[in-house]
Amino acid sequence: MQAATLDRTFAALADPTRRAILARLASGPATVTELGQPFGLRQPTISKHLRILEEAGLIRQGKDAQRRPRELVVGGSLQDIDAWLRPFREQWERRFDNLEGHLATMTKRTTKKERP
Amino acid sequence: MIPPAATGTTIDHQTFTITFERTFVAPPEDVFDAWTQPAHLTRWWDPTGTPLASCRVDLRPGGAFEFVNQAHSPPFAGTYRVIERPARLEFDALGAAGTVSLTARDGATHMRVTIRCASAEHLAQFLQHGVDVGTAKTLDNLVAHLRAARAA
Repeated sequence: MQAATLDRTFAALADPTRRAILARLASGPATVTELGQPFGLRQPTISKHLRILEEAGLIRQGKDAQRRPRELVVGGSLQDIDAWLRPFREQWERRFDNLEGHLATMTKRTTKKERP
Repeated sequence: MIPPAATGTTIDHQTFTITFERTFVAPPEDVFDAWTQPAHLTRWWDPTGTPLASCRVDLRPGGAFEFVNQAHSPPFAGTYRVIERPARLEFDALGAAGTVSLTARDGATHMRVTIRCASAEHLAQFLQHGVDVGTAKTLDNLVAHLRAARAA
């Protein structure tokens, strides 16, 4: 995955309004007007947010040419983030595997010494 | 959100929070001590299974900690916020807020670790920490280490 794509995706997710837009689109496609209403945002402002989300590959324009609804891109950038997170996740999982092994030795010592 | 698979890890992209959950066959006091005493931390903190090169812990609210591995990657360093043995530990590290919650459950301990970042930028920074070091070792080596640790 391109680092630039990842940066764009994180930047797109960094804004609470854009995250709310994504949450709304998770329940189905919506038009620009529908998306703007809950935030009381003017059309140019909401369009700017939508453009950033589109450029990050998180949403796209639906097929209806008249209403031009936006919809979530299934897979896509969010999946890229997950792939990128995997090494980090595995590192912490290994750390906790180590902890589990270490705790086993602690318990043994506790039993032996009859520690209170 | 990644589904909580066998690993017990979830990542919430909306709040930039990563959650790990584990159950250990050990009392909460042991798990808490393993998280807070250098003699224990040095044995398990490094994902490669190598003991830490140095481990400094000032265990009090506002006290600093710094864990340095053998490879001398940038240390895992921060400040303790809440210390409640054996149930809760809170700290700030690398721009993220960490919590460790320990609950006794049927003779075992359920551990929930959350790492909450203030922004996507912080999350990215935090996630990058030490990943290359951690992935250097093969899974086979890890399994060998765990067997050794259990047998010890």
